[in-house]
Amino acid sequence: MKKILAILMVLCLSVGILAGCGSSANAPASSGENSSASSDAASGTKKTFVFGDNTFNASNEDPTINPHEAYSGWPCIRYGVGETLMKIADDGTLEPWLAESATNVNETTWEIVIKDSVCFSNGRRCDAAAVKACLEHLIEVHERAADNLKIASIEADGQKLTIVTSQPNPVLMNYLSEAYGCIIDMDEGITDDGIVVGTGPFVATELVTDDHLNLVKNTNYWDGEVHIDEVTIRNITDGDTLALALQSGEIDAAYGMAYGSYPMFENDSFKFSGIQTSRCFWGMVNFSTENPSAAIMLDPAVRKAIALGINKQGFVDVLLNGYGYTATGAFPETFAFGQGVKAESYDPEQAKAVLQEAGWVDTDGDGIREKDGVKLVIRWLTYPTRLELPLLAESAQATLKEIGMDVQINNTKDHNTIRKDPAAWDIWVSANVNAGLGDPANFFATYCLDNSVKNSGGHHSDRLEQLAAQLDVTFDVNERAKLAVEMQQELLDDNSYIFCSFLRMSMISKANVTGLEAHACDFYELTADLDIK
Amino acid sequence: MSGTVTVRIQKIKKNTVKGRLIFFLILAVILLLVTIFADRIVPYDPYAQDLSKSMMPPSSEHLMGTDRYGRDMFSRVIVGAQVSIFSTLALVGVISVFGTIVGTLCGYYGGAVDAIVMRISDVCLAFPGLVFALAIAALLGGGVGNAVIALAVISWPKYARVARSQTLALKNVPFVLAARLSGCTSLQMILRHILPNILGPILVTAMLDIGTMMMELAGLSFLGLGAQPPTAEWGNMMSGGRSMLQTYPWLVLSPGLAIFVTVVIFNLLGDTVRDYMDPKNSRAR
Repeated sequence: MKKILAILMVLCLSVGILAGCGSSANAPASSGENSSASSDAASGTKKTFVFGDNTFNASNEDPTINPHEAYSGWPCIRYGVGETLMKIADDGTLEPWLAESATNVNETTWEIVIKDSVCFSNGRRCDAAAVKACLEHLIEVHERAADNLKIASIEADGQKLTIVTSQPNPVLMNYLSEAYGCIIDMDEGITDDGIVVGTGPFVATELVTDDHLNLVKNTNYWDGEVHIDEVTIRNITDGDTLALALQSGEIDAAYGMAYGSYPMFENDSFKFSGIQTSRCFWGMVNFSTENPSAAIMLDPAVRKAIALGINKQGFVDVLLNGYGYTATGAFPETFAFGQGVKAESYDPEQAKAVLQEAGWVDTDGDGIREKDGVKLVIRWLTYPTRLELPLLAESAQATLKEIGMDVQINNTKDHNTIRKDPAAWDIWVSANVNAGLGDPANFFATYCLDNSVKNSGGHHSDRLEQLAAQLDVTFDVNERAKLAVEMQQELLDDNSYIFCSFLRMSMISKANVTGLEAHACDFYELTADLDIK
Repeated sequence: MSGTVTVRIQKIKKNTVKGRLIFFLILAVILLLVTIFADRIVPYDPYAQDLSKSMMPPSSEHLMGTDRYGRDMFSRVIVGAQVSIFSTLALVGVISVFGTIVGTLCGYYGGAVDAIVMRISDVCLAFPGLVFALAIAALLGGGVGNAVIALAVISWPKYARVARSQTLALKNVPFVLAARLSGCTSLQMILRHILPNILGPILVTAMLDIGTMMMELAGLSFLGLGAQPPTAEWGNMMSGGRSMLQTYPWLVLSPGLAIFVTVVIFNLLGDTVRDYMDPKNSRAR
């Protein structure tokens, strides 16, 4: 009797376990499925869109979407919260956006007419007074913007805005198209979280730095109907997580995917939107005398050997999977100001000869050269949020070792703090959009001049300063291009800046996503055109 | 009659265990020889880049394929054994010796020092091991040496606990008391009578720990807190290839296989040593 009872109990348990393991056709969908944009789209309810980005984080100087703080204007403009007066077309020319027109009345005066229809997402009309308030706050709190814009005064009259600069500023409108130029409603102000009210197709509702940003549709959008109801931007810095999130459907599109992951998405379920950009992988040499390695980095032969010892073509062809092109100067040759510069190309034998001639010899047979008892050690500072930068570092480490240099890589998200310590690095390698504004001045102003906010290597050249002063007041585009070429050559002759490659930037999305287009300036991502079919 | 049968069964078991022990010892020795002579037996320079040979699948030319820099994976896996195995052995050696000394002294002398040391060990044991190691490694910075230190800091209490409990159990047994009565000093007591009698459990713990420590070291390297690129280290190599698991699986599978084989050999060796030293088997000796 007991045996029968035991068998019955085991049977009951088995049935229970099997029932628990099975899935019911009527069972509700998982939370992940509920959040899927495509299922919502199919059912005709709210359309939601989840975007994964590995650059929206504090280490990238994008902690919030407040355009008046560091580089936070980038997420503001990228995610469709803010818009600028003019827009940069893919060929680098300016197009009207919030402004109907911009006229250079004289060398220091600009008249800008704001479009009548423009309003902020809170419904307030965006007139010249609102733009004035925004720009005045910008130049008050944002050092880089104030240096670039050189605004002396602003007058507002209805839709007409008159800007007077303290000195001729030929590229004022280009600078106003930089991400920090997003027009925000200063009456609403900036929340403690860094949320602002702009004129774009989306309205920020929640922001957690380094985690996510929630957006909703701007029902007052002035430039057409917005198709997506809710957007979530997820900060996903790990390349594998980003790839797997897109593959599993957790996100609908991704920015900054590692090229090594591209083959996973080269099928009918996904699509790419890519474009050649001026985003350049380049290195800045540390010239500081406070640097304990000053004896190394101040030696022109060492800098030349570094320039000769990096296999740019191999990096582009293999490590960027061909999604890029080698760089000679700071700007792509598609721009007039990127043509005609000359730089060292990969030649390890010449690099060895240069070092040998300069007295760098491997005396102890360990493969690393020495001079006056100093080992030829280069501290290479870079960061992982641009996923290809560590690959460039490791590739250069191997090729430079062949010529007798010991490259020690410091690959850290903290690079923006470390680069400010002149004793902590020898070459800082980053990836920046050098000609995003369609003009060369911004690159030099940001990285190469005595008063540049990011001239962390302390580079100085009298000739460069002289040329920069000329560039600042030159209105003729061809003349500007000539000056920019000469300035680049100045940097290249000295090997104080080493340019490796430009990037072909791509965004990858699910096949049913439309209206997500990559742009050469890398500013515009989520627009009113974004939709899920 | 039944007693004779039991002894025979024990003898058969003992012979089987001995056979297993010899077998796994031979495997472990082969592994160590490969590790020691890795530099001489690799077909290619494990650090030489050749971008024209990037991502080549396994072939007769490159048995485990090549990585994205065109480096031969087989050579890197073989050379990677040096970092992975030697670091693990050094780690286990350090923590077992240190833990045993501390545990024995605490058990033998007792008192306030014992209480303090044991509370410190409690603190170390209270945290999940790898999480604590992560925190220490993050503080110290990347590098194999730092990873070994991080794991050593969290792992020694296990040996201290074993040594202490064994010492406490032995301290008052008649032969130890007799030794004391015969005028042995404390040092002689510990070295001659206690340590030799507690080494068995310590050795078994250490053998079983090799696999675990190897996994944890590889884990730290995988997370970027152990060996740094371009060092050929298995965890670090797996981390470098993980983004290409679906497209170029050999980048992860090759070092993964090396970890698997090594950990299995050392774990089975540890199990066999434990079985061999089991008192149930000793009657058959």
